[in-house]
Amino acid sequence: MRIDAAKCVGCGQCHQFCTMGAIYFTRSDKGSKVHCFVDEDECVDCGICFRSQVCPTDSLYQINHDWPRSIRGTFSNPLSEHKETRVPGRGTEEMKTNDITNRYKRGYAGMAAEMGRPGTGARLRDAEKVFKSLAKLGVEFEPNNPLTGLLANKQTGEMNPEVVNEKVLSAIIEMVFPLELVIPVLDVMEQVAEEIDTVFSIDLVARVDEDLAVPTAKVMEKHEKWFSLNGKTNLGLGHLRVKGAGLS
Amino acid sequence: MTHTLHRQGPIDSFEHDYVVFSMSAKNYNEKNSNVALREFIKILSKYKVVNMGDMKTGGMYLVDQDKIINNVQDTSIVHAVFQDKEEVKKALREIKEADLGISVIVTGIVNEVQDICQEVGIERHTVEYSVGIRGKLSRLPEEELLEITTMCGHGMVSQHLARQMLLDMKRGKRSAREVGEILATPCVCGVFNPKRAQQLLEELAEVWCFDEF
Repeated sequence: MRIDAAKCVGCGQCHQFCTMGAIYFTRSDKGSKVHCFVDEDECVDCGICFRSQVCPTDSLYQINHDWPRSIRGTFSNPLSEHKETRVPGRGTEEMKTNDITNRYKRGYAGMAAEMGRPGTGARLRDAEKVFKSLAKLGVEFEPNNPLTGLLANKQTGEMNPEVVNEKVLSAIIEMVFPLELVIPVLDVMEQVAEEIDTVFSIDLVARVDEDLAVPTAKVMEKHEKWFSLNGKTNLGLGHLRVKGAGLS
Repeated sequence: MTHTLHRQGPIDSFEHDYVVFSMSAKNYNEKNSNVALREFIKILSKYKVVNMGDMKTGGMYLVDQDKIINNVQDTSIVHAVFQDKEEVKKALREIKEADLGISVIVTGIVNEVQDICQEVGIERHTVEYSVGIRGKLSRLPEEELLEITTMCGHGMVSQHLARQMLLDMKRGKRSAREVGEILATPCVCGVFNPKRAQQLLEELAEVWCFDEF
């Protein structure tokens, strides 16, 4: 995002909308008018300052960036879709359509590290550190995830060197593995967490057992690990004969 | 894409916070699913929702509800936020009856959602939990602000906006209700719960000290 210094009146109303706190006041010379500017290195191109429509002089404008800067917007702006997955934002459909896709089968768990969430943003070099640590465990990264698509080597977790300095609001490292790996994977995440300059939020998914119990809850309770009481439940109402799909 | 997970706060603050949403699956049942997705959000809109939206169009504090409904596309993810468990139950009963074929997900206290499922006659399929935040936690804002900002899982509600709104409330420039609704506007999916924000902010305004000047 950029601000047209000639048009900006320096009211600062856009500042509070900036997810990265990357909008500042400045003036060109002593006695000249104050205007705002965006620290483009810290900006993740989420576009919220522009969409908030608070600028009284329409000074904010978004330019179309070339690769690799272009990935900031596709990961950070939920209105952008990744070309490969056609899913907006950062990740995949994950458990939301598991009743159709069966991505998470019984006996398996899905885990994810949402880099930069909540609200700190992340440089992809930090995502690479997490990828590399997890790769040593031999986990398979979700092939349809747009962040996996930026890996130069899926076995080692090494990312395309062109992207490692890019910053995104958040991006998700997604994996599926047998249930018995939940605790080892969590241990690795906790170790690498000490080496990074950002935060990540951890997701834990499983298909329920035949008795409707949640196997991952049992694993976490057994190892006295914290997990949230609130979460997401896929109700299993999906099927392939979608109502009205033949009529449109 | 776990935009409704990781909502933070004390457990009792989730007793009036349910997000019900739906999408079709790419390469499985997406084609022409806009009809079912539109019916889904129409059904939900008949009940007492405190927010609704579709990122293709925006949330109901930005655009009107009819526009959200009319613009539903095959690739939409349509959402509605409820405060009342009984309303969720009634809405899900109707959704089940409609047999739309699209995936339906409910975010809320997992055991409460399971109670609803049992009462409505639904067998839950998959559950996702948050395992918390790791890394450089010193970079996070105060826990109280996270309770508000994490209601937009895409991170569109900045801590700076929450801070400013809190200050405006404290100075009597805005009401808690107004602030809750303003904070909902950046959330294009319509999953931010302005009523929960209002309640959290009312409690916070009394105890919050602005010592940052």
